[in-house]
Amino acid sequence: MSIKKLFEQYTPEELVESFVFPVKLTTKQQKEADKQLSEHMAKRRAEMTESEKLNLRLFRLKFQLEDYINGEYYNPEFTFGYFLEQYLQLTSRKKKEFASDIQIHETQLSQMLKDRREPNNSIMVRLELHSNNVIPAIYWFKLLEKEKAYQLKTDQSLRDHEIQYVTHSLELV
Amino acid sequence: MVLLGMAMSISMCFLKKIYIFGKFFFKFEFMYIIDRIANEKRIAHILPLLKDDFEKLTVRRHSFNWKKLEKVSYMYKLTLAGEDDILGVISLVDHFAEERIEIKLLAVSIENRGRNKQFDRIAGCLIAFAGREAIKKFKNYPSVSLIPKTELKRHYINKYGMIDAGWQLFIDETIVLNLISKYLA
Repeated sequence: MSIKKLFEQYTPEELVESFVFPVKLTTKQQKEADKQLSEHMAKRRAEMTESEKLNLRLFRLKFQLEDYINGEYYNPEFTFGYFLEQYLQLTSRKKKEFASDIQIHETQLSQMLKDRREPNNSIMVRLELHSNNVIPAIYWFKLLEKEKAYQLKTDQSLRDHEIQYVTHSLELV
Repeated sequence: MVLLGMAMSISMCFLKKIYIFGKFFFKFEFMYIIDRIANEKRIAHILPLLKDDFEKLTVRRHSFNWKKLEKVSYMYKLTLAGEDDILGVISLVDHFAEERIEIKLLAVSIENRGRNKQFDRIAGCLIAFAGREAIKKFKNYPSVSLIPKTELKRHYINKYGMIDAGWQLFIDETIVLNLISKYLA
């Protein structure tokens, strides 16, 4: 169906709920369009507050974390400590400041950043509250769970060790 | 709550090393479209368009020859969770220097247009998804733009809160987050 016919068949309100149409511009028009867009965007960007910038950075981390914990892949670099470090960087918090923000000892924070210590539920909830509820505690929990699931799935030495304790394993065809 | 899936873009810059258990698959929660006939919410997925999908995309039902855009853009489809039928398609182009994603083309399937459509919110979900991609991809000032047909310009502004930039419309920061909150969260 041609675009002209679509315009005859549907109202403009219905069309914007169903389409973004192809629009061909001449080289001159495209150049002008890009210039206009660039100017408008520059103006908006100049007006952005630090709080809005922080908001964007926070949501960026949230979406990356969201995609990772729900994805069907595992990356050994994407540990709890890795994402916590990202969080500290985007909030421009030093370790000492952040430890104070969530009322834990700086050593405990350092150990979590190095993945030498696991956070408990209280810490994960404090992280949620610190992010103004943007990054839910359940995301941090699922991140840890993902690491453990991978370890459980791939730990052959554990299987080699545990087999001595299992007898009469089922024989299946 | 059932989760939403979408396959992963290899170009995603924050991934360095990936161990794959299965196929690339992303999920995020709570994205739904509304079945106006049954008057109920249905969980939807947005997934990358695969080569096999082009056979399902007919001009009669999806309005355009999508195959033509294969080499100049990347595309996503919207389906109901667990189903193959394509209810909406979007074609995107990255403008890295400007930290912008441009919507080249978007179409909802024929039975979901107009006053008698079965499913609502399809286009909104796809536009919000483009915004989410922009935030993930671009660190400082992510945005999404499109070139509207002149007659539709003010309607995009009214419907999605887009900003008028002359020939083009765009959404950034707060508007993108509002759309994500409305359609994807």
